[in-house]
Amino acid sequence: MTYQRRKFAATLLGYAAMACVLIIVGVPLFWILITSFKARPDIYTQPATYWPHSWHPGNYREATTTLPFWQFLRNSLIVTAVVAGVKFVLGIVSAYGLVFLRFPGKNLVFLAIIAALMVPNQITVISNYAIIAEIGWRNTFQGIIIPLCGVAFGTFLMRNHFLSLPAEIIEAARMDGAGWWRLLTRIVLPMSGPTMVAFAVVTLVNEWNEYLWPFLMADDSRVATLPVGLTLLQNTENPSVTNWGPVMAGTLLTMVPILVVFLILQRQMIKGLTSGAIKG
Amino acid sequence: MSDAVSRGVNAASLSRRGFLGLSAAAAGLSAAACAGMGGGGVQGGDPNVITFWSSHPGTSKPQERELINRFQAAHPGLRVTLVDAGKDYEEVSQKFNAALIGGQLPDIVVLSDVWWFNFAINKAIAPLDSYFGDAGVRLDDYVDTFVNDYRFDNRHYAMPYARSTQIFCYNQDIWAKAGLPQRGPVSWQEFDEWGPKIQSIMGRNKWAHGWSNAANYLAWSFEGPMWTFGGAYSDGWTLKFTDPGTIAAGNALREMINVKKYANIRPAVATDFGTGIIASAVASTGDLNGINANAKGKLSFTTDFLPHPHGSGCTTGGAGLAIPARISDERKVNALKFIEFITNSTNTTYFAQATGYIPVRKSAQQDPSEVAFLAKNPNFQTAMNQLPLTKSQDYGRVFLPGADQLIGTGLEQIGLQNKDPAKVLASVENQLHAIYTRQIAPKLPK
Repeated sequence: MTYQRRKFAATLLGYAAMACVLIIVGVPLFWILITSFKARPDIYTQPATYWPHSWHPGNYREATTTLPFWQFLRNSLIVTAVVAGVKFVLGIVSAYGLVFLRFPGKNLVFLAIIAALMVPNQITVISNYAIIAEIGWRNTFQGIIIPLCGVAFGTFLMRNHFLSLPAEIIEAARMDGAGWWRLLTRIVLPMSGPTMVAFAVVTLVNEWNEYLWPFLMADDSRVATLPVGLTLLQNTENPSVTNWGPVMAGTLLTMVPILVVFLILQRQMIKGLTSGAIKG
Repeated sequence: MSDAVSRGVNAASLSRRGFLGLSAAAAGLSAAACAGMGGGGVQGGDPNVITFWSSHPGTSKPQERELINRFQAAHPGLRVTLVDAGKDYEEVSQKFNAALIGGQLPDIVVLSDVWWFNFAINKAIAPLDSYFGDAGVRLDDYVDTFVNDYRFDNRHYAMPYARSTQIFCYNQDIWAKAGLPQRGPVSWQEFDEWGPKIQSIMGRNKWAHGWSNAANYLAWSFEGPMWTFGGAYSDGWTLKFTDPGTIAAGNALREMINVKKYANIRPAVATDFGTGIIASAVASTGDLNGINANAKGKLSFTTDFLPHPHGSGCTTGGAGLAIPARISDERKVNALKFIEFITNSTNTTYFAQATGYIPVRKSAQQDPSEVAFLAKNPNFQTAMNQLPLTKSQDYGRVFLPGADQLIGTGLEQIGLQNKDPAKVLASVENQLHAIYTRQIAPKLPK
């Protein structure tokens, strides 16, 4: 095959793969968007309607008024911001310690952190619950936030990135008399922009979607987050009688803040995720 | 330079040692803190504040709020906190489990038909009989089946709250087109004759009858029909899956789906019925409002009793209210007062009319607003009239943890995979027997 033909075939295959992925990811999102505007008869109908017969934006009103939506949103923002912020700082600082400081047992500490990464948080839920309930922090912000602040993924990610930083720069900085704080803020962090952004975005999304722990801790709308609160629209025994329009509307509204974050940070994030693939 | 460096190193090593020492101390402290996990013994807590954990069955949060307001008006000293305990019964049980181990027990928790026994046998919820007097509970006014559902070892572990039964829904237009009388079948054998007639006018990918799938409690929907074949899931603690009657019922299910092909097992029966995909179904009364909404303007449907040629052909479901065992007696009595209040005749009527559940008091059936409501909603009247014909569920489904899904999966295999009912049911029985011997038998009172 000539070079031109191969290039054309490769481009075609590339576009085909992209279209596949777009369909797989996009159709459910499209469905959510469409359903959020459907009136009930259009939702419970066969064959499925891909375009509403009548637009029913009242679903959004219902989703935001039948439950204290803005309170849930506020709670979600608080919890996500604090947890993501703390995790971000802890991840960077602990990775810095593991890479640039010397102390005995460094490898053991790192192994312990990696082991923690492999333990799903559902396992620690019960002991966390016991401790928090005894302190009396159930149904409070600190009860939700503090147990979520343990970070292992961030440490792992940032440590790997710090290890890839050229050692000459670090040595040069040390020889110039940089203390650990200056080394961190003036040298290391500016070189880690994309990775930090990737870490931040992943953490933000994870904390925004966190369900199990806020569910166990929150009793009412004072501290419940959006994923937990939205289920109030679904409290039936039978999913076939739920009114899905408002549920989809609520889901979409919940996605919006994260979408905004993504849009702002997407370029940096893609750079960060692929930074290990290219040397230098 | 070297002096400064060495001084720096000394300072660093001192602080490094100090840091290591500090971290060792911190590790020790946290290990000590973990030692205080959970609490045995009776929990105190303010007896005048009642914490009510609910999944708001049937999207009933506004109704629950209203009931709480009514209670607080009638009992000025007591306050009730409504807690969003989950989106369904499984989540409530999960949250309750965590509280049992961790602490801060609620005063009242909503537990469904398959969950309450698990907590009762592990002594997590309290038998309520000794508190009936103090709380003013008149057990004889509650619907018998509903109350007996929570009876074990001659004691009652919960009070009925959001209760439903099965109901036979059918599409009147299709019934008329098939030339059938406007009623439900008197027996599943009669429906076996009707099925092909209905199917002949249904068309492709539509069926005369739809069964819920296992995830939507097929084991519950099929329990009543199984009884009409002379079978059962169990008789007391004796499992009866290998009985000829049970196998006959399984065979009937298999044949109506695979041989005569007029039925199917569907994941969203209420949706299918409302859109005309299936012409009839065994639904829950709790879904009637939803089915009404799905079917509005599209078809006219009505309900009838489940076939009951001899004895009961229908059972009950839904959730009741339980009280944890490890709270103080004062808290228990106040909790029971609240339960009694929100399930009294006026309030259970109010709750039932809004959600579609069935009023749990016999006296509610004479309540004038209920009489008027039932006159306007004949489908709910059918459910009420069917109540005397219902029987409590078999132990095999409700008392063995995980039984509902095991039985449902077995029935799905028989129906959807055309497997031999005798073999599948024998396998289900083996699994349930293992669960019984391992988990239940050791805890049963001797």
